[in-house]
Amino acid sequence: MKTDDLIRALAADTLPEAGLSGRLWSVLVPALAVALTALWLMLGVRPDLAQAFGNPVSLMRWVLTGGLALVSVRAALVLARPEGSRVVRLWPLAAVAGAALAMLIWAFVTTPAEGRQMATVGKTIWTCLVAIPVLSVLPVGALFWALRRGATSVPALSGAVIGLAGSGAAAAVYATYCIEKSPLFYVTWYSLAIMIVTIASAAIGARILRW
Amino acid sequence: MAEQMDDWGQLLAAANAGDAQAYARFLQAVAPMLRGLVRARGGSLGEAGCEDVVQEVMLAIHLKRHTWDQAAPVRPWVYAIARYKVVDAFRSRGRRIDLPIEDFVDVLPAAPGRDPTEAADMAKMIGMLDSRSEMIVRKIGLEGASMAETGAALKMSEGAVRVALHRALKTLAILRERHIE
Repeated sequence: MKTDDLIRALAADTLPEAGLSGRLWSVLVPALAVALTALWLMLGVRPDLAQAFGNPVSLMRWVLTGGLALVSVRAALVLARPEGSRVVRLWPLAAVAGAALAMLIWAFVTTPAEGRQMATVGKTIWTCLVAIPVLSVLPVGALFWALRRGATSVPALSGAVIGLAGSGAAAAVYATYCIEKSPLFYVTWYSLAIMIVTIASAAIGARILRW
Repeated sequence: MAEQMDDWGQLLAAANAGDAQAYARFLQAVAPMLRGLVRARGGSLGEAGCEDVVQEVMLAIHLKRHTWDQAAPVRPWVYAIARYKVVDAFRSRGRRIDLPIEDFVDVLPAAPGRDPTEAADMAKMIGMLDSRSEMIVRKIGLEGASMAETGAALKMSEGAVRVALHRALKTLAILRERHIE
């Protein structure tokens, strides 16, 4: 076949494909709604949810996890473009990580030495470490589904950023149940759960985001 | 050069708005650049082998055209797709190739216009489609038939031909993944 013949066939195909961003939000929002509903049905809501939003230290868990999800979704959309790895800005991700670290240090300094261990260990480590990855499955799956239509030139990195976005959002969902008060707990264990999902997503991305 | 740059962007923007002629001109403008690049780096594949790679990249550009952000310059987008697919094509033929994006700027495009080289792979892939899809791609590509003519010949509505062509081109990329590995 001559290339000009191929071009004729390609040019005749004028059906438009939906843009990535619209496609992404149209599946991510329902995925998060389902995750939230499932969490509330299985584990319940923290009884003091309304007050938790009013308390700055507690509110930070949503600011950090939600912020992580938003900047990661943006980065994932850029990375889904073939030239994205050359134009993407990853410093917002570093900024969120820096803020989380600052929060951790602040809590360490302001918590009396004898209370630190108890504040860090809390009562729900395992619930947290299991629930966040489980709640991540739908949002991460939705993001992969949407961005497989993309054309990333860095599949593993794209997968990792998708993992950060999905698990960050899942952590924000989980925070509506989590009653642990101290940033020593939530920064430490949310971060670990998010890391686990991110590493798994990088491995998945390396396989399924090729094109 | 700057003029040419605007040209590609304008053509592809018009194409994405549904202008098939602008799209054909865009693809015809991109092909010589790709041909020049692939021949410069992969001469040992032979002319037909190089043209196979060119066609793989053209198909990828087509199937990923929605990933171009119209606010961004078009050339880095084209180069990034070409780089990814050329490296991929060489790898699947058991060769390694190093293709820094900077090289694209220095590529001497092959002569513009029709190129007589017959590539083999795409035709093979088209032969693996179901017979109706194969007919549609052949009629429109090789025979230059219109949608309406193709529809009439196959007793299908024009809309159905459009959808079938769209699916067939996607299937070609999947077949290529499976069969040239």
